[in-house]
Amino acid sequence: MSRVIVIGAGVAGLTAALRLARAGVGVTLLTKGIGGLQLSQGTVDVLGYQTAADRGLRVADPLTGLGELAAAQPSHPYARIGADAVRAGVEFLREELGPDLLVGEADANVLLPTAVGAVRPTCLVQPSMLAGSCVPGARFVIVGLRRLKDFPAGLIAGNLSRAVLDGGQLTARAVTIDVPARQGEADSSGLTYARAFDDPAFRERFAAELRPLVEAGETVGLPAVLGLKDRTAWQHLSELLGHPVFEIPLPPPSVPGMRLNLALTAAARAAGVRIVNGSWATSPSVADGKVTAVSFTTSGTPREFAGSAFLLAAGGFESGALSFDSHDEVKETIFGLPLAGTDVPALVHGDYWGAEQPLFGVGVAVDDTMRVVAPGGGPVYQNLWAAGGVLAGAYRWTEKSGEGIALGSAVKAADAIAAALIPSSRPAPGSPPATEIPDQARADQTEATA
Amino acid sequence: MRKLAVDVVVIGGGSTGVGVVRDVAMRGYSAVLLDRADLGQGTSGRFHGLLHSGGRYVVSDPGSATECAEENAIVTRIHADAVETTGGYFVTAPGDDPEFADKFLGGAAATRVPAREISVAEALRNEPRLNPGILRAIEVQDGSVDGWQMIWGAARSAMAYGAKVLTYHRVTRIERDGGQVSAVYATDLKDGEDVRIDCTFVLNCAGPWAGQVAGMADCEPVEVVPGRGIMVAMNHRLVNRVINRLIYPADGDILVPVHTVCIIGTTDVKVEDPDALAIPREEVQQMLDAGEILVPGFRRSRALHAWAGARPLIKDKRVSSSDTRHMSRGMAVIDHAERDGLEGMLTIGGGKLTTYRLMAEHIVDEMCRKLGETRACRTADEVVPGSENGKNYHVTHRLHDREEDRLDDQIICECELMSRSMFIKAWEDQPDASFDDIRRQLRLGMGPCQGGFCSTRATGIALDTGHIDLERATGLLRLFLKNRWIGLWPILYGDQLRQAALDNWIFQGTLDVEHLPQPETEVEL
Repeated sequence: MSRVIVIGAGVAGLTAALRLARAGVGVTLLTKGIGGLQLSQGTVDVLGYQTAADRGLRVADPLTGLGELAAAQPSHPYARIGADAVRAGVEFLREELGPDLLVGEADANVLLPTAVGAVRPTCLVQPSMLAGSCVPGARFVIVGLRRLKDFPAGLIAGNLSRAVLDGGQLTARAVTIDVPARQGEADSSGLTYARAFDDPAFRERFAAELRPLVEAGETVGLPAVLGLKDRTAWQHLSELLGHPVFEIPLPPPSVPGMRLNLALTAAARAAGVRIVNGSWATSPSVADGKVTAVSFTTSGTPREFAGSAFLLAAGGFESGALSFDSHDEVKETIFGLPLAGTDVPALVHGDYWGAEQPLFGVGVAVDDTMRVVAPGGGPVYQNLWAAGGVLAGAYRWTEKSGEGIALGSAVKAADAIAAALIPSSRPAPGSPPATEIPDQARADQTEATA
Repeated sequence: MRKLAVDVVVIGGGSTGVGVVRDVAMRGYSAVLLDRADLGQGTSGRFHGLLHSGGRYVVSDPGSATECAEENAIVTRIHADAVETTGGYFVTAPGDDPEFADKFLGGAAATRVPAREISVAEALRNEPRLNPGILRAIEVQDGSVDGWQMIWGAARSAMAYGAKVLTYHRVTRIERDGGQVSAVYATDLKDGEDVRIDCTFVLNCAGPWAGQVAGMADCEPVEVVPGRGIMVAMNHRLVNRVINRLIYPADGDILVPVHTVCIIGTTDVKVEDPDALAIPREEVQQMLDAGEILVPGFRRSRALHAWAGARPLIKDKRVSSSDTRHMSRGMAVIDHAERDGLEGMLTIGGGKLTTYRLMAEHIVDEMCRKLGETRACRTADEVVPGSENGKNYHVTHRLHDREEDRLDDQIICECELMSRSMFIKAWEDQPDASFDDIRRQLRLGMGPCQGGFCSTRATGIALDTGHIDLERATGLLRLFLKNRWIGLWPILYGDQLRQAALDNWIFQGTLDVEHLPQPETEVEL
């Protein structure tokens, strides 16, 4: 039996591992720590802005938008991934996590408020956020919590009121209430509040404080802390208040991101994915143009994980999968892969509000199956694929494209790997014929102490 | 137009200017200090934080060495809350001439700079990150000083003596009445209002900008040659004492532990315009190489931020002062009476932060002499507000404070342990401030995350005080992020790059801050 080694526990790694497991492939997922979902806003972005336009043009249909982006920028990951794989990835995740965690369609963006009061396009959202959809005529009351410092309600309400929407504006006002999550604590984190909101009694206390302040016809905007484990906490609060409520994501640690992470990790485990946490990848073993194993340090002991196929989904510069040293050298830190996007006059520049920093577009190049290729050349290894933030050519944060790239590339890579390992399996749309990868003798052992 | 009348107008809110206005006020003159920006926004806030023991000058400039040693003791006492008595080492790095240490010890004895040779083993025991290949080590009484804390301490002292401190006031004209200075005109940059200040004396302490200020009195051009130096702050205290190379003063020869970081400096490149100071990446490389000599592995440590300052060097053939013997070394005084036929104005150039008080004393003495008055200087005798308890700064002070108030107050900046009430107090004192103004006083946004988490909190709190409107609050956030980037991108590598990626993820990815309603004009002050 063959085994796939997935490196990285963000949305790309977890989704690919789950999809491979569903296809009947043995998967070991190695991760340095908890993946990037907890740093995210906890929604699924596909494409929010066409960033080539001045200050970014807001995208209404992200699948159409990514086609236009791919046509204009052939080096963008979406040019390799394509709209079909993105749709497949987005729908796969939505079906796996279910409607109490993700709702929406891959070809329609919604506009949600951010925790500074910007109006941000995103695609799939958590149902607890949906009532915050920014449409003309909406009436919001944004509720700050005295002891939660990352939710400046006045700033949010004020900027939302200034936002220019198609066909008009919305109104928003701010109130601040003081309901301690823990008695005697002035500085509570979002996670502390989320755990408090898991308790129905806290929700009742909270609603009793807030109810008199909400006016008829108002929708109540709250920090995204309405329960971590209890996915109905927000509905209960809404019933108690007699008003629709919505959550606005906070800077990390992100409670909505944690919800997705917990659910996706649990699904992967339940599907048979073996997750090895605390594993810091260091270097590959290579033979005959293939990766045979990857060395990891885990609990201080170097170990080697052998596999038939490898998926690099370890993220970009934020995770350390890509590095830039004091001699201005950019590296992919595990396999030492060749990088695309480095052929620019300067990788960083001093204009903060100006053009993208080219450095953040550096990454690995892939072919149409997400197999890692040398820029402008062929595969680096026959059995190494890549997905997510490590891919070159995207500016995920300004484009609002991170999850779409991750999911599209994860699904494409997983399907290509499954097709290669199980020759009878049906190739995914757009996938090339399966690559023959013979099982390796030691793959069954899955790992050997170095 | 607002009108004021005082004895003395001091122009420039760096260490020299605040030292002068404090001295003038303590001698009983009414005074106004003007600066076009915030206090300490120029050269005095852009140094490496070293409070000289004098050791740096015992061979090259013995007079300065003695002055530094004496003033070090005074500044440590009167600005106790701004000074950390770290101590310092001068070390002979591999390849440096070990015999220079003998010259150094001889010079130290001659200049009365306390210095004692210690064994290399002792130096390495106390500073384990130090290059184990050092050949000799001499212990001195260097310290580190927070320039902004010092300047604000002196300014508050001056205000307590009745002086007015007007920041963000740009001088537009110095009026003469015949051969005598009669008034200074300025514009309040925050509200656009003009101010006329009648006076009998102007002390031009504008440092690298002194030439421009002298020009406003229709004086012959004063030649100022700004020397740019860059500094790089590393994220940790790699050393707990000031480490100096035991050589003639050179680039990158000083590493200073200040607050939670350590700072390496500096370079010296002549530039034309003190308002356009680049931080070239090649000079950053030069600093990293220099750091590597003192602390092996320096390059692999995390760089946090870089900045450039302009030395206020005046080159003027007619620099005079009839008697320079009593003048502070490295300082130039231009008496515009002799030079330009203008009574009532002195221009001061050069100088060192460590000896700022002595410089001020000399300048004000000179002014008194010209006014035919004898009023004694008392600035060395009295501590400034905030230093009354005589306790010197310690790096764990804020940790102690937060442990005391953590259940009652919020930490708005975790990196620098700045609380909500600290921020609100500073904001109430200066409601038209920018977040950089607050940063200089409270270190907002100066830690590892470089504003990643605290800047939106600060924006929300500032808005909630009711002193600013939404457009200004949002504009201040934009300005702060832009300004942080100036000192970030030249050192962006390693872990600080990871941090910048996370910060971008937060600001662009989660908050979409770039799509907030755009201001009609950017907030700049």
